[in-house]
Amino acid sequence: MTDLENAWDDLPVSTAPIDAVLRAGRRDEPRRRPVPRPGLRTATAFGAVAAAFVAGVVVADPGGSGGDVPSAASGPASGAGAGGQAGAGPIDAESLAITPAAFHGELQAPTSCGALLEHYQDRAEDLRIGPVGLRDRSDLPRPLPALSAPALDSAELVGTTGSYASDTGTTVQEAGVDEPDAVKTDGDLLVRIRGSELTTYDVGGPEVEELASLDLDDLHDGELLLAGDTVVVIGNDGSPPRYDAAGLPLGSFPRTTTPAVPEQTRVVTVDVTDPAAPREVRTVDYDAGLITARQHGEAIRLVLRKGVPDLGLGRRARRVAEQRIAATTLDDWLPRVSVDGGEDRRLLECDRVAVPRADTGLVTMAVVGFDAGTADGGAGADPTAGLDTLGLAGEASMAYESTDHLYLAANDADYSAGTTHVYDFALDGRGASYVGAGEAEGTLRDRWSMDETDGVLRLALGASSETGNWNSIVTMRARGDELVELGRLERLGVGEDITAVRWFDGLALLVTFRQIDPLYAVDLTDARTPRLIGELKIPGFSSYLHPLGTQRLVGVGEGPQPSGGWGAQLGLFDVTDLTSPDRLDVVSYGPRSRALAGRDPRQLTWLPQQRVVLSVITRGRAVYVSRLQLGAGRMRNEMTRVEWGSDADVVRLVPVVGDDSAGGAIGGQVPRAVLVTGEDVRFFDVD
Amino acid sequence: MDDADFADWARDAWGSLVRSAVFLGCSLHEAEDVAQSTLERCYRNWPSVARADNRSAYVYRVLLNCLRDSRRRRWWGERPSEVVPERRDDTTPADEVLATVDAVHRAMADLARSQRDVVVLRYFAGLSEAETATALGVPPGTVKSRLSRALGKLAGDAHLLDLRPEAARERRTARRRSEVEDPADPADHPAEGARP
Repeated sequence: MTDLENAWDDLPVSTAPIDAVLRAGRRDEPRRRPVPRPGLRTATAFGAVAAAFVAGVVVADPGGSGGDVPSAASGPASGAGAGGQAGAGPIDAESLAITPAAFHGELQAPTSCGALLEHYQDRAEDLRIGPVGLRDRSDLPRPLPALSAPALDSAELVGTTGSYASDTGTTVQEAGVDEPDAVKTDGDLLVRIRGSELTTYDVGGPEVEELASLDLDDLHDGELLLAGDTVVVIGNDGSPPRYDAAGLPLGSFPRTTTPAVPEQTRVVTVDVTDPAAPREVRTVDYDAGLITARQHGEAIRLVLRKGVPDLGLGRRARRVAEQRIAATTLDDWLPRVSVDGGEDRRLLECDRVAVPRADTGLVTMAVVGFDAGTADGGAGADPTAGLDTLGLAGEASMAYESTDHLYLAANDADYSAGTTHVYDFALDGRGASYVGAGEAEGTLRDRWSMDETDGVLRLALGASSETGNWNSIVTMRARGDELVELGRLERLGVGEDITAVRWFDGLALLVTFRQIDPLYAVDLTDARTPRLIGELKIPGFSSYLHPLGTQRLVGVGEGPQPSGGWGAQLGLFDVTDLTSPDRLDVVSYGPRSRALAGRDPRQLTWLPQQRVVLSVITRGRAVYVSRLQLGAGRMRNEMTRVEWGSDADVVRLVPVVGDDSAGGAIGGQVPRAVLVTGEDVRFFDVD
Repeated sequence: MDDADFADWARDAWGSLVRSAVFLGCSLHEAEDVAQSTLERCYRNWPSVARADNRSAYVYRVLLNCLRDSRRRRWWGERPSEVVPERRDDTTPADEVLATVDAVHRAMADLARSQRDVVVLRYFAGLSEAETATALGVPPGTVKSRLSRALGKLAGDAHLLDLRPEAARERRTARRRSEVEDPADPADHPAEGARP
């Protein structure tokens, strides 16, 4: 340390260039107030930016004011061209030193399309060119463990979720925010997708009745959202994921252990106004991979990620590689969109792509919002019509949406992966606008580790190079354009990993694991001082917590079995008094059994009226539904075998309440569950 | 705007700004560029900078922003800043400066960026805990914990051996002595006495 202190003193520092500073300051002064009529200042500035962008994209009109370009044709803008930039020639960075209102602070808008392209090219050249093309610098390629559970909804390793099924029968993370699933229902109509086949069923009668099916051709890995009479199918065209020579997914920078997903997203809109004759309305293709899709009412929002383009660099010499990078255009870096197989277009305009100050990788994230209902054929051939888009030139592939915020998060790619960057976007219908950004020490496992309540973002962070060997709860709030840390509770589960988190208004329940399963209750009523209020240690661990109400909680996980060995278990917890949570009962499913809801919460269903929990369990190749009847602090288990083999993952139990959800049995509508298996859709006997 | 006030303050602040930028990963030349942009921004807002209770916090926050911007500058094609005339006194040979800067960078490279920021502002630039917290936009408690971890890490750092400032100083002194024939007090350089 004293060596460093000596180095500090020893550094020969020149004398301060005071004169140059003063000159620069004075020179800038008049330029900063060039507008003749102060009342028009804002409009002028924006006009100038618009003109610059158009000039950058379209053209070649260096000296022009841009007056002949539509978007710059308004009066004040032309005025600015004459007043502010007179004789300035091509775009003068200085006179454009304002950014569109969308980005500020941690996220910056490029000054022009040329500048954005230069950003991508320079970042690419910063990377070492290796035998597999673009590579990160030698000190970076370690996999980032914190990103190991990707944002892919179906591949969660750890998860917690909301307590009630969404309006369309899916067990989701956040009340009011629907998530895609292979099955959706509105109570009468049930739609499922299997492979490329979309099938409609009537579930309003005594038996499930198949109505019609529609082949969507080249649609793979499809999942559904249901908005009124419109089904939105989200999948891909079957393009294989790209791998590099090391067998790792290509297109990720820095390297993460993110599983390879096709870098293509296909969205097919299907009209089910007549459920017996579903009609394909529109197909929209994006050349970027899907991170998440969410639905708020009519508004649907996709988060897409376009990786490093394949420039065919291979084992090329550095000089060749540099030439190829220099030859790239923005079309290589920015995602594109096309409708019904038509000509593709750039999805993001340059001024909609923000560049984070932090070095978070060479990929591009796109947030795309649209209304399910308006996505009909009438919109014409322009693929970008009706899309609300926003881009981010960096990695942020963990996405969490609350009812009015979208958070994108990524770990620091610049140095050791110890810091999590979070970008906050406010949502308004299908639109999103940038609020601010922040960072927190620790690693974020996945979207389940984030939650927003009353404008406070709460994070459950694992250990990183920036923290001690423990987990933390951190609260953050937007102040100006920054997310600032309000409070932090450290030393949760020293030396252990987070396996599940559940958030409530003023509370977090957190499970960590090493050998025993501590369940922590953290009081968040004062966001500035998160407080540990209770702790329960039991054998095994839960990977998914499902609250049943104010008093009971179910934990799905695994642990030692009474008959010996290790297997699935489901615990019933009394959380009435959070200072001493208690386990009332546990059901063990036998050695080598697995409770699939621990990985995909959509495989657990809670039917509050019957006080029944249904979940999918596997033992060997046999797939069961476990029906747990709750009563008097106990669980009575009944197993029904429903499927064999690998179709276990598609098994769902969808609650169908019918029209009169409040009336329950009294109104003549008994809540039921539809069992969906690989080949079959039928009612499951709940009672 | 009082230019004389500004000039006095800037002359004092200059050394620490440049050194901080070097410790944060810049070459000496880049560091001077960054420090100069920092001063320019401060000059433009001098009335409010001068009034601020926590002037250091403000100034170092500007420095960190300039530093991040400078990493992006060439990507954005901004105008390069005016060429800084060489005013460095030539008592330290260029290769020795390079070696020192390099060793500093290697030592600091083991720290995460946020730790580096804290250690440079709080420990080297001498900001108070509250000023560091304000400059970085984190709670004071975080400054404290980051600093202790960073110092812990630096304490066990092998790269620091490369610095050998005594050896460097010794070489410099020896050269000066042979040129000027002005023998330095050997007590300042105990290592020299140990030499055969």
